[in-house]
Amino acid sequence: MTTVVDVDLMADLKKFGATDVSACFSCGTCTAICPLADDDATFPRRVIRYAQVGLTDELLGAKELWTCYHCGLCSQSCPTKADPGEFMATARRYAIASYEPTGLARVIYTRPKLGTVVAVLVAAFFALFMLTQADLGGIHSPTLALFQFVPSELVHWLGVGTMVAMFAAGAWGVVRMTRALARRDGVTWADVAGSRAALRRSAAAAWSSLGVESLGQRRFREDCHDDQPAEPLWRRRWLVHALTIWGFLGLFGATLIDYGLELAGIKMTGTPIPLWYPSRALGTVAGLSLMYGVTVFLLSRWRRWTPAHATSTGSDWLLLTLLWITGCTGFVIEVALYAGQPPVWGYWFFLLHVAVAMELMLMVPFTKFAHAMYRPVALFFYALARDRVR
Amino acid sequence: MSENPTAPGLPGDDEPGRRRIGVYICHCGGNISDYVDVARVRAAIADDPDVMVAETTLFACADGQQHTMVHDIQNQHLDGLVVASCSPKLHTTTFRGVSRRADLNPYAYTQVNIREQDSWAHTDDHEGATERAIALVKAGIAKTRLSTPLSPLRVETVPATMVVGGGVTGLRTAIGLADIGLSVIVVEREAELGGWLGRLGPTFPHDTPGRDQIAGLVAQIAQRPTITVLTDAELVGKTGSFGNYTAKVHVRGETTDELRQFQVGTFVIATGADVYSPEVGELGYGIDGVVTLHEFGTLVDEATGGALTWHGRRVRSIAYVYCVGNRQAEGNAYCSKFCCAATVHASIKVSKVDPSIRQFHLHRDVRAYGRYELLYTESRERGSVYLRYPDDAPPAIEQSADGRLAVTLVDALTGPDELTIPVDLVVLVTGMVPRQNEALTSLLKLPTGDDGFYNEIHPKLRPVETVVDGVMIAGACQGPKPANEAVSGGLAAVTQSAGILKRGFAELDPLVATVNEAACTGCGECLTTCPYDAISAYPCDTGQKALVSAANCKGCGGCVPVCPEDAIDLLGYTSAQMLAAIDGLADREPVA
Repeated sequence: MTTVVDVDLMADLKKFGATDVSACFSCGTCTAICPLADDDATFPRRVIRYAQVGLTDELLGAKELWTCYHCGLCSQSCPTKADPGEFMATARRYAIASYEPTGLARVIYTRPKLGTVVAVLVAAFFALFMLTQADLGGIHSPTLALFQFVPSELVHWLGVGTMVAMFAAGAWGVVRMTRALARRDGVTWADVAGSRAALRRSAAAAWSSLGVESLGQRRFREDCHDDQPAEPLWRRRWLVHALTIWGFLGLFGATLIDYGLELAGIKMTGTPIPLWYPSRALGTVAGLSLMYGVTVFLLSRWRRWTPAHATSTGSDWLLLTLLWITGCTGFVIEVALYAGQPPVWGYWFFLLHVAVAMELMLMVPFTKFAHAMYRPVALFFYALARDRVR
Repeated sequence: MSENPTAPGLPGDDEPGRRRIGVYICHCGGNISDYVDVARVRAAIADDPDVMVAETTLFACADGQQHTMVHDIQNQHLDGLVVASCSPKLHTTTFRGVSRRADLNPYAYTQVNIREQDSWAHTDDHEGATERAIALVKAGIAKTRLSTPLSPLRVETVPATMVVGGGVTGLRTAIGLADIGLSVIVVEREAELGGWLGRLGPTFPHDTPGRDQIAGLVAQIAQRPTITVLTDAELVGKTGSFGNYTAKVHVRGETTDELRQFQVGTFVIATGADVYSPEVGELGYGIDGVVTLHEFGTLVDEATGGALTWHGRRVRSIAYVYCVGNRQAEGNAYCSKFCCAATVHASIKVSKVDPSIRQFHLHRDVRAYGRYELLYTESRERGSVYLRYPDDAPPAIEQSADGRLAVTLVDALTGPDELTIPVDLVVLVTGMVPRQNEALTSLLKLPTGDDGFYNEIHPKLRPVETVVDGVMIAGACQGPKPANEAVSGGLAAVTQSAGILKRGFAELDPLVATVNEAACTGCGECLTTCPYDAISAYPCDTGQKALVSAANCKGCGGCVPVCPEDAIDLLGYTSAQMLAAIDGLADREPVA
């Protein structure tokens, strides 16, 4: 089979970062030192080669892009200073922009200023839309009646709508990525669902991907030991990352529980509840976890604590900032809710909180957040391939 | 061995004609003594009445031992020396030196090889090896017994050198020769000096245009009155002997041709090479947009306005196909050495013209050796992509429907699937081929290798000398190479010429053929035998006689057995010496 080379790929990739990769002469030192390049995997070397030569399909079908956690060992040991670690990050950005259909991701990655404007505008749109429906007269009521200020129905359906849009765009990207990966790896439907044995393999791969790796962060924890033991535990990347994930999922879970309680008629949304109440307890712990993770990440990028955080792009800042605003405003609302005299600013923080949270969800397929969708898919294929090697 | 026979014609023990020979048998640190009983060898010859000193030594070539030998020769008044050790190729010069330092004629020394020709060959048979060593040493003594003192031949030399070829090598060589005090005649076939380099723009590694390099050399030559430059000229005749040749040069004039003669001591042949010209159809050559490296170089040097264009169309991507006409299983098997660096350098020039041009180098190993590695690195950093294709599967080049070119290959690093690269220009990286110069080659009897380039005696030990005395080769006529290496060869030829010519005379080995005029019948058999044209006939009262030119004779001995009258003898290896040596080998009474 003949592949036609895309002679413009390299120039395109450079717009996403990775300006140094031309210097790479495929010596393979990066592969040799990478703790994750096992089972005959030849990344980052091979993936860099795809980019140099112009093999777009191979690059977009490379699950190896997503098995990298950017510890930076390869960049430290690269004899040509081609910065393979940053290249892998760049290629992931390029992949996110290529998988999603709208071109928004490309704008965010390649034109950070315009991307920031878009981000602000989206948040402003959500805020203004809710404001048009808000009961401004309720601001001075004796209690902080947030869901009378902006009707809970509105927040609910806006949220559902956002999630549907996000899922539609996300599914599009995930399907494209899955097809690219399956084509490159030669994985067919029959291989994943054709027989009982295939289904068992797929289930095991899914558990490895979602359970062991995504939730458990096993390889990030055990193999990417770039920051051990020099890094104190409190700022080890895998732990900070895990706390961020767990915090985010915890908050998501708390929201679902709250909604479930409403459906069950036990507690209406917005009703004041004590701290020990399950959904609130979970939300508070998860929120603290998320805030810790995101704050340490922001500090690490600001202070360049690790090689992975030595280079930060607009999209890195965008995701962390949105997460941080969402988490922080959530706690501000907590304070406002339990303050003796309900402060007026509580309403405005509530508006900001909801708008940014909506934006965060809507933008998942277009920002760096997209890795949360794509990485599990790649890890699934990685687990399948490892199974085949065995 | 007390009954050792004496050579015929030599008087008995007490008579004054008896020789005083020193024999040294070397252990070679065990290389010999592990298999040959050297003490027995010594004992076997020690009683020879002509042997005054017989010793074994751990290393005959060691400094201390050499001193001992000099001491022995002087104190014992030795008049012959035999060292039984390794191959004469290794230490003949060493022990001739020992003789000379002890005021013994160097040609009274015989080296007997009991290592390569004995101990190493017979490690399984110590007894046989020892007997053989005894026989070889006896033969050596027998040969030495009949040795006569010889003196080196002295020939007067002409302090002038003819440089054939006016390219970069020839010109730089001429300057070097002039600066060392020799007069120079540069003979250039074309109307202009400069050769290939003179037509080039900026070259690797310093980006100095080839034209400027040549112009600089020509200007330096103009300042040196001892250099004569002949253009439109060819060397057509060479006569004479070592150090003093008459060269005939044919010079084409505007109206009339002229035949000029020059007396020169040496020749430096720097006739260069040609570039390989691909066949139509070879790797797409002939398709619009497929060019050779040489054609491409001109295109790049003439590019203006920040863009490279081909027939008015802007070039966006280029594929270079390396090793065209070189390193082929069928055809030219050699590597041309310069083309990798030249192509890498060209790609840097391209990226300086227009950095957005995508460049793909399809190679079979980039031999950008030494400092050219820096160019290779720079080209990669500027975005050139290097892809290695398999030796047996060269890239396929086709024209696509839109008029662009499609290059299909397997890249070793991403294979085994084929890749097709769409490009605007394909550059065939062509190497060098030997220049067609049959007239000169046969005139000078220059040895040519399988690849068609001239051969030196030894690529490392004698890199510019040829088997033809006084004729040196330098530059690309010897084999493909970059200009700087060609010039290095030229400078080596300068030193070599100076070594031969600066003393005003040369000393040649006296081991040459001589004719016994009384015995010569003038039959002429030997005249056609000599491969060096060293034998001529001269008339005398009784018809004609053969005459050997000592300066031309190489001492091969080819004429000796041809002579029906045994009138020719090879000095140092006379028939009498060889027969005596054979007797010694056989250890019996001498043949009559």
